[in-house]
Amino acid sequence: MKRNIELNTHISGKFNQELEKLTNSVLTMGGEVEQQLINTITAVRENNPSLAERVLLNDLKINSMEVQIDDECMRIIAKRNPTASDLRLIMTVSRATTDIERIGDEICRIAKLVTKDRLPPSDIVLSGMLMIAEKVVFMMRGTFDAFARQDERSAVAVYEQDNSIDKKHKELLKQTAKEMSEQKHDMQAWFDVLWAIRSLERIGDRCKNLCEYVLFLTYGKDVRHSSMKKTVKKLMK
Amino acid sequence: MLKLFEKETLSLDKLSDEQTALDVRDLSVWLNNSRVLNNINMRIPKNKITAMIGQSGCGKSTLLSSFNRMNELNQNYAYSGEVHMDGRNIYNKKENVAKLRTQVGMVFQRPNPFPMSIYENVCFGLRIQGKTERRSLDDIVERSLRNAALWDEVKDRLFDSALLLSGGQQQRLVIARALALKPDVLLLDEPTSALDPLTTLHIEELINQLKRTCTVVIVTHNMQQAARVSDYSAFLHQGELIEYSDSDSLFTMPEKKQTEDYITGRYG
Repeated sequence: MKRNIELNTHISGKFNQELEKLTNSVLTMGGEVEQQLINTITAVRENNPSLAERVLLNDLKINSMEVQIDDECMRIIAKRNPTASDLRLIMTVSRATTDIERIGDEICRIAKLVTKDRLPPSDIVLSGMLMIAEKVVFMMRGTFDAFARQDERSAVAVYEQDNSIDKKHKELLKQTAKEMSEQKHDMQAWFDVLWAIRSLERIGDRCKNLCEYVLFLTYGKDVRHSSMKKTVKKLMK
Repeated sequence: MLKLFEKETLSLDKLSDEQTALDVRDLSVWLNNSRVLNNINMRIPKNKITAMIGQSGCGKSTLLSSFNRMNELNQNYAYSGEVHMDGRNIYNKKENVAKLRTQVGMVFQRPNPFPMSIYENVCFGLRIQGKTERRSLDDIVERSLRNAALWDEVKDRLFDSALLLSGGQQQRLVIARALALKPDVLLLDEPTSALDPLTTLHIEELINQLKRTCTVVIVTHNMQQAARVSDYSAFLHQGELIEYSDSDSLFTMPEKKQTEDYITGRYG
């Protein structure tokens, strides 16, 4: 059974504020990461090393956010002894920040293509990468939106978007392999491109994880490592 | 770097005189010839909530009672050391103890309303001070009951007996009675141990509001309560102050092993 989590209904006003701040901080972190990805796509599209450098530098801010949010989770657990939906919220926040921070790391890997001057030496591969990247941005936006509204239906819909990303990823890998065999020079650059393509696909997977956490938060069911279709059918009954 | 969460507590080492409500210096207390407190040194910050935790008999209630000299009501009482408040030692021979106890109010474990009306309970201390003007008393009673989060529940029956109130209401009434004297410091000796969990949370919320107007020092056996409600916590063991720091640090990363053992339930 779905239960809406109302943050502002505790007797302790301070506890209300703490949980609200915690949720907002995850969304702030999510917003930062989304902007990082948008900047990286721009840097790749325009071959703009200074923008890519800025992305790499800004990742330190995201790392610091992860540490701060984790500290706050630990503090709240120690001081408030949270239970039920409050406990689930804190567990969700802690897990979500780990995934968001990893998304930040994947973005950096893509940004390094620009700073190391290793952009794909093929226009087809480059445009394929940018197309997947746009899809990933769209998925990420939907993920944070579902998280903010604790909307499990949106979370499931966003979760499904990863299938199309995976499909495009496979196609791009095939295309890249073909290009690699045709243009054999500078294999190291191609490896970096392969890693960057994989990073895009991994960001989609991380967004999937975040969608699973939304279901955990609202339904109290851990849906990781289980068939999403079956789980959704059960939950939405 | 972007700061997501602001820390509300100040560093105890850097507390200035203006930020200090009570400054305890080398305080030792003997009751019935046995030493109950041993050389306590601590600064209690102004307009914050400080909790005292520790096993039964560790001296936390004695320390609390030292702040308004209630210990002197015991026979065979002796002390050494000083407690400073507003730049004076409250153990000075010239100290007006009755006045001190209006400045430093106290609420006990069991609610102890007087067998009189709610209204009279709140203005009891004021009448003793000689304040009898009805209008001013009315105002103070309303303000105190509002500050104690009790006004809405009792405003239509102010002249009913206080003994008819529930336990939680009685405890809030006692807090209102202390607040009527506008204390600078409010001492709470296990104020919720006789109350149910929800009423306890209401009182804790009230305590959190009170720090806007006064400094609160609370003794509690309930460690979770100390964690929830306090800004600073002091752990006492056998009359010694083992650790005293901001509650966030004490409950997540205590410095002393004894504190860690106590708050994690490994003591014994």
